[in-house]
Amino acid sequence: MSRAMTKRVHKALADENLQTALTRLMGLIKFARQIAFTGIDFESLSKEIRRVKEKSIASLPQLVEQFKSKATEAGAIVYEAEDAEDANNYVLKLSQKHDVKHIVKSKSMLGEEIELREHLEQAGIKVTETDIGEWIVQLAGERPAHIVGPAVHKTIEQVAELISKATGQELGTDPQALLDAARSALRQTYIDADMGISGANIAIAETGTLTIVTNEGNGCMATTLPPVHVAVVGYEKIVSSWEDAAAIFRLLSRCTAGMKMPVYISHITGPSLTDAIPGSILHGAGGPGEVHIVLVDNGRLQMREAAEFREALYCIKCGTCLNVCPVFASLAGQTYGHIYQGGIGTVLTAFLHGMDNAEDIASLCLSCMACKEACPAGIDIPRMITKLRASLAEEKGLPWMSKVAYRGILKYPQRLDSTVKAGSYLLQPFADKDSMIRRLPYPLNSLTQAISLPAPTHQPIRDRLKNHWTPKEVGKPKVAFYSGCIAAYAYPEIGEDVINVIKEYGAEPYYPIGQACCGAPAFFAGDFDTALSLAKTNIAALEEMSPDYIVTVCPGCATVIQREYPELTTSEPEWNQRARAISDKIRDFSQLVLELEPSAEKKPSRNRKITYHDPCHLKRGIGISNEPRKLLEREGFELVEMADADACCGFGGHIVLDYPKLSAAILKRKLKNIEATGVDTVVTNCLPCVLQLRGGLDKIHTKTKVIHSAELLSKCREAT
Amino acid sequence: MAAAKKELVEKFKAEASRAGALVHEAVDAKDANNYVLKLAQERNVKHAVKSKSKVADKLNLRERLEKADIEVKETTLEEWITQLAGKKQAGRKTIKQMAELISKATGKKLNHDPQVLLNSANRAIKQSCIDADMGISEASVAIAETGTLVITSNSGDSRLVAVLPRIHLTVVDCENIVPTLEDAAARIKPLGKNKADGYISSYVTYITGRNTTADIPGAILARAQGPAEEHILLLNGATSNRGAA
Repeated sequence: MSRAMTKRVHKALADENLQTALTRLMGLIKFARQIAFTGIDFESLSKEIRRVKEKSIASLPQLVEQFKSKATEAGAIVYEAEDAEDANNYVLKLSQKHDVKHIVKSKSMLGEEIELREHLEQAGIKVTETDIGEWIVQLAGERPAHIVGPAVHKTIEQVAELISKATGQELGTDPQALLDAARSALRQTYIDADMGISGANIAIAETGTLTIVTNEGNGCMATTLPPVHVAVVGYEKIVSSWEDAAAIFRLLSRCTAGMKMPVYISHITGPSLTDAIPGSILHGAGGPGEVHIVLVDNGRLQMREAAEFREALYCIKCGTCLNVCPVFASLAGQTYGHIYQGGIGTVLTAFLHGMDNAEDIASLCLSCMACKEACPAGIDIPRMITKLRASLAEEKGLPWMSKVAYRGILKYPQRLDSTVKAGSYLLQPFADKDSMIRRLPYPLNSLTQAISLPAPTHQPIRDRLKNHWTPKEVGKPKVAFYSGCIAAYAYPEIGEDVINVIKEYGAEPYYPIGQACCGAPAFFAGDFDTALSLAKTNIAALEEMSPDYIVTVCPGCATVIQREYPELTTSEPEWNQRARAISDKIRDFSQLVLELEPSAEKKPSRNRKITYHDPCHLKRGIGISNEPRKLLEREGFELVEMADADACCGFGGHIVLDYPKLSAAILKRKLKNIEATGVDTVVTNCLPCVLQLRGGLDKIHTKTKVIHSAELLSKCREAT
Repeated sequence: MAAAKKELVEKFKAEASRAGALVHEAVDAKDANNYVLKLAQERNVKHAVKSKSKVADKLNLRERLEKADIEVKETTLEEWITQLAGKKQAGRKTIKQMAELISKATGKKLNHDPQVLLNSANRAIKQSCIDADMGISEASVAIAETGTLVITSNSGDSRLVAVLPRIHLTVVDCENIVPTLEDAAARIKPLGKNKADGYISSYVTYITGRNTTADIPGAILARAQGPAEEHILLLNGATSNRGAA
């Protein structure tokens, strides 16, 4: 996290035009996605894309040769460029050879990546972007805010001003009038152009075909009207066959625009030609006489070699990971500082623009996994970002504060207990009577800007559950309770709730004394050494009394133990086996209760409405979203769903520490959705979410209560 | 019509309509011609362009529109030259005849250099496409799964006719409707080893519905940079040898 990034984040958050435009955009996207994904089997279609991309990237060298040979046979001229400079120079030289004065360009992310337009403009060539969004951004002298919708950050007033100025007309804010003006202005540029530049969404090896997708029709005109067509194509776009391309079409536009199919898909194989004039076959019949294809590497082949990052090449550039990203929804693309934004942008930037440039963007990830869930190519973006952080941590070392925190304190449970206890006394003067800290002094003041914090406890959960360190009753299922740090130090009273409720369901719960932090903070910061050390501590502590289940109240911990411990221990087979055994026993609280008593009857209605917030790591980390709802309904509550129940509350990653204002903006949307339900109780099975939501609601002085299922169930029992 | 084929046609109609195209299934050739003529008249079309279409030729669609004082220009080079020559001069032309025809059409004295002739023809054809109110195309394949038209051609006029005029009409023989994208791919793929043997066409353009944009804030707007209206005229057995208008 650099100062420059913090500044950009604050600027975006304070930009009213941007926030207006983004709110509109996100509403539109949500609507479009609902339509696009109704009635289709997303999972099997996305598996098809995954299959095609895996296969294509695996056999890339052969496909490149086949593509080159087929395209050349069809009359295209293929050039392989190593990097941006090489590609840009090729296009510039070609333009100069043809005495090109004016170029029309359809949207190309690769073009943006290598800054092709800028390169040509510097040489005095006029280049007009023809995608309306891209044209607006060009008129504004900016760079695209979104890989699919370049101008999504603009309001209608801003667009009206730009188009009025460009066309020399006084245009109002009527969208139709603005579109008509844009269309006529652009129409003339195609007619005047000496060269058309495009990218390609797909390149098909078996026929040497370029495939260019547009909804506006600009791609057709830019590649047909000028006498020379140049396509810049990244190696990763090559697939083997037309059938493979079809698999991509089936989801591409659903993801980009909420449409079943793109309006125009141009398949271009070599230049236009005719045999109508006696003599020979002539090139350039109603279309370009020359087609140049510039295949660009610029870091892609290196990415292919890096096993952990190869899947970034499966990206079909649909923008879905931006559309579902809570951070993007608050900032838009320019804040990221590089052309590839959001989740996938972090990885692409690292390889295409250099590792140094990715550090800042990596700091903007909530690790909420919304992108992973929605990606049509099944790319595990959050995992790659974590790996990226690990490479950066290895290369540059961790910040000293993190080093002290992770390696000096987090690793040792007793030391952590003492540190928190000491901290709790230090912070006591700042706590109100209800144990909430509403204002902290500088330099910690930013932490209490958006949320009130619970005062750390003087008595961590380990001390509180002294009588439960071992299971007592034999013959019942043994349930180890893994609390996690937030429960241990902020909400230790939940310990008794969990113990009481589990007991009631006929199991024998206990609190393994040797447990430590799960390692998530270190893991997500890329400090895998500390994470591994903590994994071993916890595996040993949890397996000790051979529990049948391990119950958790923090899905972040559950995800790390269940998914990451086996990964972290892969090089140590014995530990790996133990990690897997532990992994199988992990249960969310609600999941466990349902498992312990699957056929309990539904309780009579309590006449009490509640709403449920899906914690990111519960739903997308360990795949639990129905169970908590089912349990609550079985307990007699009436569930009122909030909008975007599974959107992050803003606590994820290090955002809450690094960018408190950004976290607050994300939280605000969540609180608005909660408020809209008209319900006074929010249930969620995650204590970090409880902390964030309670803290946020406290700041806005509402009476809405936030409660974990375990706490709610325990309270209900006390009451009866 | 067999039930399976009927179902395929219905699926295509439903999907194309959903994507914003206006679909008409003609009962016969007369109905087809009347439909196009009525559309042209209602939309005040004065100039139309037409890329190569066997189906439209079988219908005598051009003549039918011309009779109603609508100018229809052929845009595919061979058809364009044939149209310039008129009925009297049928058959394949020599380069000398071509030079005369193209010189006359463009008002410039052109020599017999094929490239010069081609360049002049290109300019004239492009201008017609730019000036036209209506473009008429033929889809060699149509995809029921997505309601997609597939227009194939080696020359670029097929694309200009489809995107430049404010109205685009595509004629489709129902025989050419296939169920899926993969079926279309199988039809489109190379037939021979090189272009002369019928290698894959230079241009295979898929059009699904009507062009749109979401780039102007406020709404998703129809007619981005292509036609305002996308019409599809379905014919049954159009390429079989039945009479026309």
